Amino acid sequence: MSVHHEANEPSTEERRSFLGIISGLIAAGITAVLGINLGRFTLGPALAPSAGAADWTEAGALADIPDGKLIKRNIIVAQEAGWGKFVSERAIFVLKKGNDLTVFTAVCPHLGCTIQASAEKFLCACHNSQFDQSGTMLSGVAPRGMDTLEHLVEEGKLKVRYQNFKQGIPAKEVIG
Amino acid sequence: MDSTNTDKASSRVAALHDWLDERTGIKAAMDSALNEPIRGGARWSYVFGSVLVFLFAVMVATGIAMTFYYVPSADHAHTSVAYIQKAVPGGKLIRGLHHYAASAMLIVAVIHLAQVFLFGAYKQRRELIWLTGTLMLLIVLGFSFTGYLLPWDQAAYFGTKVGASIAGEIPVVGPLQRRIMLGGEELTTITLSRFFTTHVFLLPLSLVGLLALHLLFFRRASPAGPYHDRDDKRIERFYPKQAFKDSVAMLAVFVILIYLAYRSPAELGPVADPTSDYLARPPWFFMPLFQLLKYFPGQSSLIPIMGIPALVFGLMFVLPFIDKRAERNPFKRKLGVGVLALFIFGAVGLIGLAKYEDSHHPEYGPKLAEQEKEAHAFLNAPFQPQEIGGKTAAAPADVSKVAAAPAAYVTSCAVCHGDKGQGDISPGLLGVADKPQRTREDLLKILDDARAYGLKKPMPESFPKLSAEEKAQIVDWMLTLKAK
Repeated sequence: MSVHHEANEPSTEERRSFLGIISGLIAAGITAVLGINLGRFTLGPALAPSAGAADWTEAGALADIPDGKLIKRNIIVAQEAGWGKFVSERAIFVLKKGNDLTVFTAVCPHLGCTIQASAEKFLCACHNSQFDQSGTMLSGVAPRGMDTLEHLVEEGKLKVRYQNFKQGIPAKEVIG
Repeated sequence: MDSTNTDKASSRVAALHDWLDERTGIKAAMDSALNEPIRGGARWSYVFGSVLVFLFAVMVATGIAMTFYYVPSADHAHTSVAYIQKAVPGGKLIRGLHHYAASAMLIVAVIHLAQVFLFGAYKQRRELIWLTGTLMLLIVLGFSFTGYLLPWDQAAYFGTKVGASIAGEIPVVGPLQRRIMLGGEELTTITLSRFFTTHVFLLPLSLVGLLALHLLFFRRASPAGPYHDRDDKRIERFYPKQAFKDSVAMLAVFVILIYLAYRSPAELGPVADPTSDYLARPPWFFMPLFQLLKYFPGQSSLIPIMGIPALVFGLMFVLPFIDKRAERNPFKRKLGVGVLALFIFGAVGLIGLAKYEDSHHPEYGPKLAEQEKEAHAFLNAPFQPQEIGGKTAAAPADVSKVAAAPAAYVTSCAVCHGDKGQGDISPGLLGVADKPQRTREDLLKILDDARAYGLKKPMPESFPKLSAEEKAQIVDWMLTLKAK
């Protein structure tokens, strides 16, 4: 090892010269300016807080929803996606019992798989969580019952505020 | 921190360095990189090669960053570039650096080549360095041409259209070359994909390969040194003096690029509109060719399209093989220097002439000024996101024409698929018979073994309680369900 050291001694000394330090500082400065801006550029939009509360989305006429029977609806949701406003469909479940109206998202609170409904209950087939028609967990690994969505009825039409919720925690928390 | 602690820390760093070196040979590699001998000593005039490598690094870094957002599709390219330019933090700087570093690369490459030419540094077994350098200049031109289209604005679309037509003018191979370039007869979204792939994969890989060879040949031949022998004996190492000069030059270039990116942001006009009467003008580096085309009507246009470029690059390729004289002093190589001067002043003169004619033309002048104003207005307008996904609320299924379902359906299926097949919690059945693998036979089989058709829970595996007759009734009814 000491042999290596001796062989490199003159150049090591030279390397610590004033010009070498300046060159190093310039290289570090350019890298820093470029690096910081590349970081802002690539990460900025991903880390920016999402804009405001979600919009209300129409989910059809109230009169079309049968009483006491669970139905699945697809609603249109618009998401800010960088250069685009991404408009896509999302599945929800609606259960009307007399004057009581419950709207569930089909996103499982466990890891976000899509929940399916059968005649009597809900099932998330990814990791076998089962929920009853009120969204309460019957069995499985989900940390909480199914997430309900805010809704209102306006001029006979059902409107839903589609939101996403944090997964894997016992409390229901809106993302963004 | 007392001195023993400092000693301990530095000995640890040394130990780590040794550990790494034993496994990587980093010390020898660094020494070989930094101790390159420079005949005649470090000089400011030797910075251009390093500056080119630096500019290429800036292009790669900013280019990769932009692909986080850029979409090479005629539908979205322009919006994604507008997003980069107007909305992404640091976007103006990143795109500006890419835009101006591209021009800088061409300028510095020409300076670098001109200097090697003037100093006769392509002589004395340095032919391959010169050849790889000339090829790299062609690659850089390819970068400029392909990159110019990517924003898909008016200037890009119409500029490239003319460029492709020029490529199509070449006898025999022209039409085929044009087709291959555009991916068909016209400038379409496929053209954009081809230009993008060429710009971000093919050309960078080619340039990296050529650059590696260029440097390998250069290190093998060692730098040519000054063209006179006055201080031939003096040899300096690359580090630290030349390294310092190179860093200062890079810093200067970097500061200029940042200044330009903010001062005069990279242009972006309105989205390409093939129906418009946009007055196409090439980017500055194609201006000399553009101007020459005005003087050569009809068939003679082949002179500027093919003749002059072929002559220039042909001369460059054969130069080190025909010029075998040892003489490197530019003052004793009047012909060569004269040709270089003619080329450079000619190119600059033609650019100036093109600009002058345009600005003084009674129709083109105002039209170009107006186009420029529109481009500025677009650049300064706030970013407008584009609606994508194309979903509009699905109309509820029309069940008015659906016949009453058989009793077996009502008891076994309706709770999920809806009493009229509209699909309450499971998929709707309207139009099911039009889908693949849903013939009468298939549907009957599904009722006996749904999993065999890939249908998952909550669809039951089979319906043992239904008779064969009941299943047939259900399927026959399903076949009457029309989508519309």
